[in-house]
Amino acid sequence: MGKQMVMSVMSKDRPGIVADITGAIYQLQGDLADLNQSVLCDYFTMILIATFDDSVTPEDVVASFSHIPSETRLEVVVKEMKTPIAITKAKKSPETYILTAQGKNKSGLVHRISLFCYQHGINILDLATTLNGDQYTMILQLDLSHVESVTAKDGLISSEPGIAGAIDDIRSSLTACAEEAGLTVVLQHEDIFKATSEITLF
Amino acid sequence: MLRSDHILATVEMIQKENLDVRAVTMGINLLDCRGGYVSETCRRVEEKIGTAAARFVETCNKVSQKYGIPVVNKRISVTPIAFVGAGFDRNGFVELALALDRAATAAGVDILGGFSAQVEKGMTATDREYIASIPEALARTTKLCASINIASSQKGINMDALALIGRTVKDLAEITREQNGFGAAKFVVFCNQPGDNPFMAGAIHGLEEADLVLNVGVSGPGVIARALDRLIHTKGRENLGLDDIAEEIKQTTFRVTRCGELIGRKVSEELGIEFGVVDLSLAPTPTVGDSVGEILQILGVDVVGAPGSTAILAMLNDAVKKGGIFASKAVGGLSGAFIPVMEDEVLAEAVGSGALCLEKLEAMTCVCSVGLDMIPIPGSVDADTIAAIIADEMALGMINNKTTAVRLIPVPGKEAGELVSFGGLFGASPIMPVRNVGKSSRFIAWGGRIPAPIHSFKN
Repeated sequence: MGKQMVMSVMSKDRPGIVADITGAIYQLQGDLADLNQSVLCDYFTMILIATFDDSVTPEDVVASFSHIPSETRLEVVVKEMKTPIAITKAKKSPETYILTAQGKNKSGLVHRISLFCYQHGINILDLATTLNGDQYTMILQLDLSHVESVTAKDGLISSEPGIAGAIDDIRSSLTACAEEAGLTVVLQHEDIFKATSEITLF
Repeated sequence: MLRSDHILATVEMIQKENLDVRAVTMGINLLDCRGGYVSETCRRVEEKIGTAAARFVETCNKVSQKYGIPVVNKRISVTPIAFVGAGFDRNGFVELALALDRAATAAGVDILGGFSAQVEKGMTATDREYIASIPEALARTTKLCASINIASSQKGINMDALALIGRTVKDLAEITREQNGFGAAKFVVFCNQPGDNPFMAGAIHGLEEADLVLNVGVSGPGVIARALDRLIHTKGRENLGLDDIAEEIKQTTFRVTRCGELIGRKVSEELGIEFGVVDLSLAPTPTVGDSVGEILQILGVDVVGAPGSTAILAMLNDAVKKGGIFASKAVGGLSGAFIPVMEDEVLAEAVGSGALCLEKLEAMTCVCSVGLDMIPIPGSVDADTIAAIIADEMALGMINNKTTAVRLIPVPGKEAGELVSFGGLFGASPIMPVRNVGKSSRFIAWGGRIPAPIHSFKN
């Protein structure tokens, strides 16, 4: 079965950095399962999951990464997963919503929105923000399936009728919370965005 | 993962640009409701509609809430009632109308269409009784809409029916005199009437349809107007050609239609009934910023009715279809830009200023759906002139293989230029002058039929 490890890398961005990191894993005969990378203001960050032979230790991985040249030092964290997870993609919740929040930039905006999500049992799947002049925009992908009122109001035939009412409740308390922060928020089901932006519908 | 700019464009569309689903219409077959007596038929009609539409409005509201997109109107269309009430007399049809109105109220829908007949080639005795019942039927009901198909590209124009209809429009206006002739706003005359149109007043559940079907009408003139404003603002007028404009309309329509498609599929899934078509019409509302006329102005005519209006409308109509067809599994109904005068603030204004006349509107209807729609005319215009205006519009549809329709309101006791308002979605407008009144009677007096045009012989 081998040893499953999760690795996180951060460094100043440059061409070839992904090739170098994955090359180091390949040298250790690691099998890459999934990765996610992002670049923000010239800084590169990546999180990877790979399976290695039982003889390979997290220290070996850190050591092999340490040879990779970087303008800044390559920040590396490697952890062995005690209970291996199935790599097959988890089924996406049918209650995935997109929240956009826009307003004048000031500190604490992301915190306010994320705290709201936390307090209402909403899981943030993805979050991206942009600053344009003094306009701050947040786009969040949210999973509402753990919201108690959403699942509790489960309706007659499917979950839909119950959810409709619960979404209205969340929308109104979210709007109230955002107004205090000077944000305009829109919470829409992800299907709407798929419908308007993708070729295939369902 | 969805791209942020796409997400923001969609958010813009939903929040600021009046994106809505204009109508979700449930079509219900009533052919199996005919009983031995009028009362029995009425009971069966009410029962069938009651059962079929029991969860309809509730489900529309829930889906609408979940997706945060308003469904403005929940409607029912039924089998053209002249078929359902075959053999009934005038009073029988009035009873049926009252039953339909009760059923619509019980189901909680906004409006019910299908108090209709198809007489493009000939009229049965029942059809004549049905036509005679229209004024009283519409005057005594609140949710009922009537329509009649009196012409088609296959069969020509039934001029006997046409003459009766000119009279019917007058009677309808007269019997609802207290409401400025509002009855006539609930009655529309068609050439090539489609059986799956979700929009009123002309929605019917065609004989070719299954027992139950759900059709969706999308709207979105406001969304298109704002998209064009934004394009012109960001790219600069001097850097754009009309092909760029058409492309923007196409892409915006795609997005608008997709929302309708999504809502339609979800509602039909919930109700367990077949999803029929999306009707890709740009249907204006009297709300500021939700006008087809405004799009024409953005595209370059200072007033609607000025030379160029027809060409712009042709381009708009075509771009809407191109964008919408790919967005939906099945497109049907009327599918094109509507130019209902009273329901479109900018068009109504153009009538008031004298920029838009009946003849120009007639030209514009050659290149868009539906026809001379929601036009208030002086109450003094005679039945034959009204019939002749309808005949001209029917001829346009017949020869060009398209749907055309007429909904004129001869407002009793009012003359050209006076304002008439029906409120709500029916809107308001100054009364449009009609030229050459009283000069077509000899033509209408012929009766008979205008034969089917040569290009109908395709077999």
